[in-house]
Amino acid sequence: MAVKSTMSNQQKLVQAFCDALGVSSQTVNDELQYNTIREWDSTGHMVLVSELETVFNVMLDTDDIIDMSSVAKAKTILAKYGVSL
Amino acid sequence: MIAVEPNKNGVIIRGYQVELIPLSSQHLGLLRKWRNSARVRLNMINSGQISEEQHQTWFDGLKSDPSQQHWVAYYKGIPFGATNLKAFAGKEIGSSAVLEPGLYVGHPKYQNNLIAFAPTLALYDYVFDLLKIRELQANVKSSNQAALNYNQKLGYKVVKRADLVTLSLLKTDYSNETKMIKGLLSR
Repeated sequence: MAVKSTMSNQQKLVQAFCDALGVSSQTVNDELQYNTIREWDSTGHMVLVSELETVFNVMLDTDDIIDMSSVAKAKTILAKYGVSL
Repeated sequence: MIAVEPNKNGVIIRGYQVELIPLSSQHLGLLRKWRNSARVRLNMINSGQISEEQHQTWFDGLKSDPSQQHWVAYYKGIPFGATNLKAFAGKEIGSSAVLEPGLYVGHPKYQNNLIAFAPTLALYDYVFDLLKIRELQANVKSSNQAALNYNQKLGYKVVKRADLVTLSLLKTDYSNETKMIKGLLSR
């Protein structure tokens, strides 16, 4: 936690994807999309939503959960909740 | 949680952000376009192109066939896929203990999207809670790994492996396996 508190939001986002999906940070780039890697399936997506909500202390609407189909989209959506990335 | 409303072509089912509208003649052009797209056709048991005449004949036959029901799934007013129920051996949908469901997402924007689960959740709630069906049985091409994974996320168990994989789903397994995804799609 101490390490996480010194991270930028961009680093926290990458870490959240890594922790939720069990992938390396090299895998997490803007182009990464839902259902294009084995780890980011519906189960991974649910864990990811939970992780992002915890890390950034937000509660995503269902429409945003559905719309969050890539890392780039996740950034856009989190920005709506006041998370600057 | 779903809401069901009768209409002249069957029942409208609403839940998990989507609306399942009974198939009508206004959907036929769109449905054939989806059905004939390479991505959908590839995973169909009959993977040939469907002509307009064949499609119309199939649709006309549905009117006097109580063994199947078809819906078009809408999200935010946009049709994005089709789902259906079929009874085995020509039985009526409502008087059958086992049904075979079908689904495809035709709209490219939603093919790799969590919303693909929503029509299935709405339909299966209707099947298990309102129709009181005991079991759903799906048949999937063994090459269609995406559909096999999808079905297993819903709680299906494989009962037979061949060129077609047969999977079975009971209400208890469905309820247990879909709690989390239902929660996300019902906020």
